Amino acid sequence: MQFINSLRGEWLKTRRSAASWLCLIGGFLLPLLYFIGALKDHNTLNSLPVNSEIWKVYFFQIWRFMAVVMLPMGLILSSSLMTQLEFRNNTWKQVLTTPQSIGTIYLAKLSAILLMTLKFFIFFNIGMLAAAIIPSLIFDHQLPRDSFPYSFYLVNNLKILLTCMPVIAIQYLISLRFKNFLVPIGAGLMFWLVSVILVNTWKYAYVSPYSYTPMIGLNTKLPAGINILILSGVYSAVFFAAGFFVFRAKREVS
Amino acid sequence: MYCIETKQLSFKYSGGAPVLQGIDLQVPEGCIYGFLGPNGAGKTTTLRLLLGLLKKQEGAMLLFGKEFERNRIEILQKTGSLIEAPSLYSHLTARENLDIMRYLYDFPPKRIDAVLDLAGLGNVGSKTVGKFSLGMKQRLSIAIALLHQPELLILDEPTNGLDPNGIIEMRELLKALNKEYKTTILISSHLLSEIEKLVTHIGIINKGQLLFQGTLEDLQRKQKQGASTIFHTGDAGSTMRILQENGLQPVLADGMVLIPLVDRSVIAGINQQLVAEGVVVFEISSGRNDLESIFIDLVNN
Ligand SMILES: Nc1ncnc2c1ncn2[C@@H]1O[C@H](COP(=O)(O)OP(=O)(O)OP(=O)(O)O)[C@@H](O)[C@H]1O
Ligand SMILES: [Mg+2]
Repeated sequence: MQFINSLRGEWLKTRRSAASWLCLIGGFLLPLLYFIGALKDHNTLNSLPVNSEIWKVYFFQIWRFMAVVMLPMGLILSSSLMTQLEFRNNTWKQVLTTPQSIGTIYLAKLSAILLMTLKFFIFFNIGMLAAAIIPSLIFDHQLPRDSFPYSFYLVNNLKILLTCMPVIAIQYLISLRFKNFLVPIGAGLMFWLVSVILVNTWKYAYVSPYSYTPMIGLNTKLPAGINILILSGVYSAVFFAAGFFVFRAKREVS
Repeated sequence: MYCIETKQLSFKYSGGAPVLQGIDLQVPEGCIYGFLGPNGAGKTTTLRLLLGLLKKQEGAMLLFGKEFERNRIEILQKTGSLIEAPSLYSHLTARENLDIMRYLYDFPPKRIDAVLDLAGLGNVGSKTVGKFSLGMKQRLSIAIALLHQPELLILDEPTNGLDPNGIIEMRELLKALNKEYKTTILISSHLLSEIEKLVTHIGIINKGQLLFQGTLEDLQRKQKQGASTIFHTGDAGSTMRILQENGLQPVLADGMVLIPLVDRSVIAGINQQLVAEGVVVFEISSGRNDLESIFIDLVNN
């Protein structure tokens, strides 16, 4: 109960915040560009140069740039911004004198970041579908004949969501630790850049959790026995726990 | 019973000199305790320790008779606080800032109107806090501290940024809370004159040491003892004699004659006598009448 109350507060803090705008813009920008492109060229989904599984091809086409560039950047920025909120407003001392355990405080903010990520996924999927369906209606084309692959969309969204977790965990940890918000942003962007460069050139690129989302977007071949979903789970668990201990040790930063 | 009691509380920031040295704070239940000291004395550090914002290093800390560390949540539930600069979300409105706290304490929305009125922010509307003046922010911080009807209020220089009217309103508000709800209030300040009319108890801290602690009357008594009337005349010897003849106990210091503070009519009588005997009187002064000077005395010695 205390946790739910705390989470409600954390969620309220995102109202009108930079992270919220980022989520909205990040979610709809790419679909909007797609939509504009379709209008300009009088294209619809059926113009894709394939004739089967059009929905699946479309999914990866629109997700690619998102998964490689925009999503990792968005995760880095939003988790840092949402944590930075407390430093910038001088509010850690307010938060830490409310009657909640340190663990509840840590979890509530983390959950708000995860909810924001989920919100982004919902926005992006709505945008993605709208960008496919609306041009078909406008140009009076038919939608692809094959039925919509619900489970494919759901499973792949969840996979990408899962690979976001370790990045969020690491960014949250760094953001809690350092008052200067350039530290988490700078570190995050550096990790991401190095990881993306190495994704297709180094066979051990999978050691960096920042490469998982790009790997899905680029459909990278992985060495046998390596499952980035399992690795994501392990990394997240480790860094979520480490973040908690960092926060507990550091709570006098305020 | 003490609402707040510390025993030999000592603290130093990492790598720094000791900031608090053996503080024995005793804040009785239901009192208004003024915590006084010049800049850098250690007031904020003490209050932060009491709220668990700094980790206790040495000594013991009891709030509501309970060890803080082991009863943190229970103690914070009953405590409202305002430490230094306002702690507010600038992209949210006053109401939204209060909502965050309201969720945590599980109060109905009506309570927000009540505290906004109490803090004199009845009609702030939908402006975000970033557009508030410093005084308005301070008022909102007070509203937040009062939201959950705490039994104990810990306020660090709450009048910072308030206009004279605001200072008086705040004083009245705190008095009323103390009277109506028996709220214990610990309030820090570096000006005695500012809280003199408000507090029942006083603690004076300087360079990390508690120099005085007691009721306001204790302090006034101490001040009377320390105060004296000073005679600066052309003939100190005759002045001493005349004062002795009047049953007073004069002391000679720096060519001037001091007696314990006496009534103005006594001074007038002695002055006539001095003049009648041909002693030149340069100056007669009764110094250190206000509490401020004893505060300054304590701090400077
Ligand atoms: N974060 C910190 N790190 C190191 N030293 C600190 C820190 N905060 C305060 N100090 C030192 O501790 C001492 C006491 O500071 P504190 O803020 O408690 O004083 P104060 O009585 O609240 O003063 P003021 O009236 O100016 O608010 C000062 O010497 C200050 O330099
Ligand atoms: Mg201070």
